[in-house]
Amino acid sequence: MSPTAAERRRRGPDRAIASKRRAAAGVLALAVLLAAAPPAGAGTPAGGPALEELLEGCAQCHGADGNSVMPDVPSLAGQPATFLETQLILFRERLRRSEAMAPQVKGLDDPTVIALAAHYAALPPRAAPEAGDPALLALGRELAKAGRCGTCHLRDFAGRQQIPRLAGQREDYLAMALAAYRDESRGGADTTMIDVMRGATDAEIEALAHFLARQGGQP
Amino acid sequence: MHVNRTRLSWARPAIAATALFALLGAEGALAQEKKVPGWAQGRPAELENSPLAPHPGKMTVTPPDQIPLDQIQLPPGFKAEIWAHGMPGARMMTRGDKGTIFVGTRGIGRVYAVTDKGTTREHQIVTEGHYQPNGVAFRDGSLYVAAINQVMRFDGIEDTLPKVPAPVDLTNAFDLPPDKHHGWKFLAFGPDGKLYVPVGAPCNNCAVDADVHANIRRYNPDGSGKEIVARGVRNSVGFDFHPKTGELWFTDNDRDWMSEHGPDCELNRVSKLGENFGFPACHANGILDPEFGKPGACDGVTLPAALMGPHTAPLGMRFYTGAMFPDEYKDQIFVARRGSWNRTSNLGFDVVLAKLNSAGTSASVSPFMTGFLDTGENSFWGRPVDVLVMPDGALLVADEQNGAIYRVSYGG
Ligand code: HEC
Ligand code: HEC
Repeated sequence: MSPTAAERRRRGPDRAIASKRRAAAGVLALAVLLAAAPPAGAGTPAGGPALEELLEGCAQCHGADGNSVMPDVPSLAGQPATFLETQLILFRERLRRSEAMAPQVKGLDDPTVIALAAHYAALPPRAAPEAGDPALLALGRELAKAGRCGTCHLRDFAGRQQIPRLAGQREDYLAMALAAYRDESRGGADTTMIDVMRGATDAEIEALAHFLARQGGQP
Repeated sequence: MHVNRTRLSWARPAIAATALFALLGAEGALAQEKKVPGWAQGRPAELENSPLAPHPGKMTVTPPDQIPLDQIQLPPGFKAEIWAHGMPGARMMTRGDKGTIFVGTRGIGRVYAVTDKGTTREHQIVTEGHYQPNGVAFRDGSLYVAAINQVMRFDGIEDTLPKVPAPVDLTNAFDLPPDKHHGWKFLAFGPDGKLYVPVGAPCNNCAVDADVHANIRRYNPDGSGKEIVARGVRNSVGFDFHPKTGELWFTDNDRDWMSEHGPDCELNRVSKLGENFGFPACHANGILDPEFGKPGACDGVTLPAALMGPHTAPLGMRFYTGAMFPDEYKDQIFVARRGSWNRTSNLGFDVVLAKLNSAGTSASVSPFMTGFLDTGENSFWGRPVDVLVMPDGALLVADEQNGAIYRVSYGG
């Protein structure tokens, strides 16, 4: 969904340029990989490619250890299994729309989804980057507290069940995901997250993402 | 397509209760005052740091041998069997004229059709990729489906299955508000031939325009002729019409975060068009809301016909109109309680019987189908969400957690 004029105005020029530059880099990297990564196809362990083969494909974007180094691609390591299952099924059912993910999950059967989720849930999440902008961190912490994000995502933001881990997630991805809830453009989204993000400003999203990406110490 | 609304910013003091939380003052400075997000408003200190959150649904197929049917408990003479399975997220049910059971879902975005093949049942996906297509109703050969901000009609569907006819899009005609939260719908036709549609409050607890949110409406089947039938209804996801009086009875989910022990969810009876059931000012049996309930806020509010327990989530309900069960069940109400999340000890996760008083104005509630909840372990394995009376008098019960439909029968 393209941003409305009001949204674009609110974002301001700096932000727009920065996010455009970032998006361009991400799109380029993704485009290369979209061509390279083997689509999962009707990937059942019985009929389609074996789990390891599938995981090789996933690794090209999400990192071999489930910790992404690619712009706008989320880390999966240490995410709760139920969350991963849910999101894979939302992609498969074409509710959550993503050009990158759609070919990966096409025709995946439930046992394969469960196996993929179990794999990534068991991998250790990378320790969060240390340094950050002190003012942004402080604002992000306050916003997370006032918004009671920890109620659902847990106080250490490690997530549980259907609720994702936020600690140590890529900052660019967090900002993208939060904006998608606010703009109601994340298909199949949990409706409480839409309620939570209603009316958030870009500055607040930036601070939240900055703060959350820097949570989580040694795994 | 989502409709743009005025954005309520965290950065401004909350001007409406749905505004999340204002940290920055109007000038962008960190404000001292902290607003509480809409969904967490009115939390007492004991719940301030509560980690309670909705239980996860299950989006994958549950094989029937993993459904512990033997744990289900029913009154003497009744028995339950797995009637259909393998439909993740199975929720609201309606029956076509030719016997097809259509089943709505939320998260997985599908509507299923179950056809009875005598000793077995087969199911197929009728439509998919919708945002929480919970509401299903059947009339004059057509299946009506309501998702969040989408209404569709599948004409002559029972004649074409397994082929599914292209739906007629009625979304614009019904013109429902675009809100996602509590935006999933229940659907049922009344004895007046109108299609009844609830519109929930787009929040846990907030001020609403009573003509837009927190109400139940009825429409002509084509979406014209909208009338508000009931107001002040926080989030109804189930109703039925009294088989003799034709009165609308509905369940309602009361607010969260006020207390673990209340307010109770509700079973209500509508005796006049447009009646007010109290949300957000007056909850359950006359409990004033800490924020919106000024003294006297319960005056003129219709109180529930029965209290359904705190946070128990009573959803699908139907009057028992069959001939199979003993006489005492005739014209009484079965209510599926999906079960609580906003309290530490789980409650609900069952089907209860609501027995009407002789005047038909109130009801008393007793357990009917239990065993999904292990109170000792505080764990559950199933979540009943809807009930449906079959022509032979058996009762179908949809279990969202296991994607299964049970058949409850008596005698035999
Ligand atoms: C071509 C790159 C690419 C490949 C290959 C890929 N993904 Fe993704 N994945 C993405 C992107 C980009 C997103 C974020 C999508 C969005 O939010 O729009 C994503 C999101 C996800 C998410 C949601 C995570 C979250 O935090 O919401 C899961 C789960 C996931 N991918 C699993 C997998 C699995 C399993 C595979 C292999 C079968 C895989 N992905 C292969 C690019 C890829
Ligand atoms: C009532 C529970 C609840 C609260 C409160 C809540 N969340 Fe969430 N959040 C969820 C759930 C459930 C999901 C999974 C969403 C889905 O399926 O769309 C989620 C998803 C997310 C995601 C997407 C992550 C990913 O990997 O795709 C982000 C980011 C997020 N939440 C941030 C926040 C922030 C920041 C706050 C506080 C301002 C917050 N959440 C408050 C329940 C909650």
